[in-house]
Amino acid sequence: MPVIEVNHLTKEYRLGTIKSLKQTLLNTGARLMGKPVPERRLFKALDDISFSIEQGEVVGVIGHNGAGKSTLLKMLARISTPTSGSVKVNGRIAPLIEVGAGFMPDFTGRENVYLNGSILGMSRREIDRKFDEIVDFAEMAEFIDTPVKRYSSGMQVKLAFAVATSIESEILIVDEVLAVGDLAFQRKCFDRMEDVIRRQGRTVLLVSHNIRQVERMCSRVMLMSHGTILQDGDPHATCDRFYQLSNQSIRDQKAKDSSKRIISSGEVQNVEVAVLDQQGNSTDSLVEGSALRIRIRFSLNQPLSNPEFHVGTHTTDFVYLTGESTAVLGQSHGFTAGDHEIEQVIPAYPLVPGTYGIRFAVIDQRGRVVFHGESLRFFNVAAKSMDAPLQDELRLVGVPVQWKLQGTTYSHM
Amino acid sequence: MLTIAKNLYDYRELMATLAWKNIALRYKQAYLGIAWAILKPVSLMLIFTLVKSFVGIDSGNIPYPILVFAALMPWTFFQESTSEGVNSVTGNTALIRKIYFPREIFPITSVLTKLVELGINFLILAGLMVWYGMMPSIYILWVPLIIAYTVLAALSLAFFGAAINVYYRDVGQALPVLLSLLMYASPVIYPLQLVKDKLLVQRAAGEWSDALYTLYTLNPLAGIIDAFQSVVLRGAPPDLNAMIPGAVMIAILLPLGYLYFKRAESYFADVI
Repeated sequence: MPVIEVNHLTKEYRLGTIKSLKQTLLNTGARLMGKPVPERRLFKALDDISFSIEQGEVVGVIGHNGAGKSTLLKMLARISTPTSGSVKVNGRIAPLIEVGAGFMPDFTGRENVYLNGSILGMSRREIDRKFDEIVDFAEMAEFIDTPVKRYSSGMQVKLAFAVATSIESEILIVDEVLAVGDLAFQRKCFDRMEDVIRRQGRTVLLVSHNIRQVERMCSRVMLMSHGTILQDGDPHATCDRFYQLSNQSIRDQKAKDSSKRIISSGEVQNVEVAVLDQQGNSTDSLVEGSALRIRIRFSLNQPLSNPEFHVGTHTTDFVYLTGESTAVLGQSHGFTAGDHEIEQVIPAYPLVPGTYGIRFAVIDQRGRVVFHGESLRFFNVAAKSMDAPLQDELRLVGVPVQWKLQGTTYSHM
Repeated sequence: MLTIAKNLYDYRELMATLAWKNIALRYKQAYLGIAWAILKPVSLMLIFTLVKSFVGIDSGNIPYPILVFAALMPWTFFQESTSEGVNSVTGNTALIRKIYFPREIFPITSVLTKLVELGINFLILAGLMVWYGMMPSIYILWVPLIIAYTVLAALSLAFFGAAINVYYRDVGQALPVLLSLLMYASPVIYPLQLVKDKLLVQRAAGEWSDALYTLYTLNPLAGIIDAFQSVVLRGAPPDLNAMIPGAVMIAILLPLGYLYFKRAESYFADVI
């Protein structure tokens, strides 16, 4: 029998604020008279979610901000009620949704342990029994009779965490609580969580932005996005998917933020940059390691003899990556006034998946910069295969390699 | 009904802890500490006694100060537990958004907290009785019942108020005004006997007198205060006729208030 069963769970919030009592009365009046009333728009924080969790499963919930993770936990912890659908929970549930809820600044540490413990559902006897262990774990013996308002924020969180994790419940809901205190204490928290999970065999729901932690601790991961579950299953695959998604959104954001930077003398106009695929059609992306074909169209309003063209690529934060010039060709070309088209092809563009911008410069024979533009166009390099995107954080270019292992030679493109 | 009782039993330790928190919090760092609990009724008693010396209120054969103190005890308890109860949900926003337990625990705890202060006031009452040489009679055994009834009266208002206050904070603002009006409509400054004489004996409002008296006693505090004074000071049983309209009122309001509160409860975390 599943410990947690969620069926077609939907939660809607009304956007905007609650109106004053007067407005509510007026609206009610209008509704009774059959007149239209302006309704506040609805926002679906959770959209028709269904899943079930078995006894002893450790489930991680990941997703970007606003994906609905915390709303889901609130539904499970009965703090909030679903708009439609149902949530069934069999067993005592301990929500560690933000530690230290209900700490009273005027109370001493000791008093707060008892207060917080009973708020979280422990009996007085239970707290008595565990008190020393809690204080010991939080390293607070010295300060336990000092009001909590005199504590540093780290001390408060340590104590709160110690109380929260000492609850004995069948189901534990943990929301972003592991990142507390200094490194040493974080390590301790982590070990304690692992102990709770592995040794005591409880059902745990863990929400965190620390994806590596989730990947390590959980036996199953759910990826949420815009109120729906995008993927549910193997931790490794799900976390990878999340990495890809967030990389993508970082790229999109960066590309949007960096606008074109152009310096021009006015002689070169109507610059149009395109990335072409093998058929010669304009495209936005290419696969890692394939050819990058850049076509630039421009018009000159006066003839230009023997200009130097410079075409390059850069990252979204303006690190210049490639940059090849026609000057090395040693050939001279005269360009008349009017429309022109040039192309640069890099047979195997080596950069790792990401978003890159195109830079274009025109320099006349006396060395004067006639035109210089950055971020004229963005293109994406897509991963060759879905596996190992993590590698991308550890390299900038991908190159063909040969390996020699125990006498055998392997080649890898 | 059973589930309510079970809930209350299951969460008794939490309620005790929260009540202890409320009391301790109130008097932490206050030099006079718990003495503040008696300061309010005692100072009101002194003021009313002073006023009485100007306007002349017939207090029967009981000294006015002790009569008014015996009225102020249930009144202050009712007034403070109601207003604390109404603000108890909005005052615990952090808890409501983070942890679930039955939300009626908040208003109930507020009322329980005030019971402790009421208990302290009994010491003052006892002192006054010794001072005036008054002996309690057997009827003093009614006191727990009367207080339990006052608790229910305070709760029925608190449930309604607390739930509405989450959506419209107007309630929290309006309540002190309403309660101070209610005080003048309750036999605090004057004994109920005066109202009875005016309406039932002198029939000051003609044929409307009986209806007016019933309307007056619809306020549960009318019966409560009079009953409290009777059993403690007059050595007489409570005037049940004065209590019935109010009791009917509470019997209707309390379940309604509770149901309304439970219905609104599930949206507290979203709205608060």
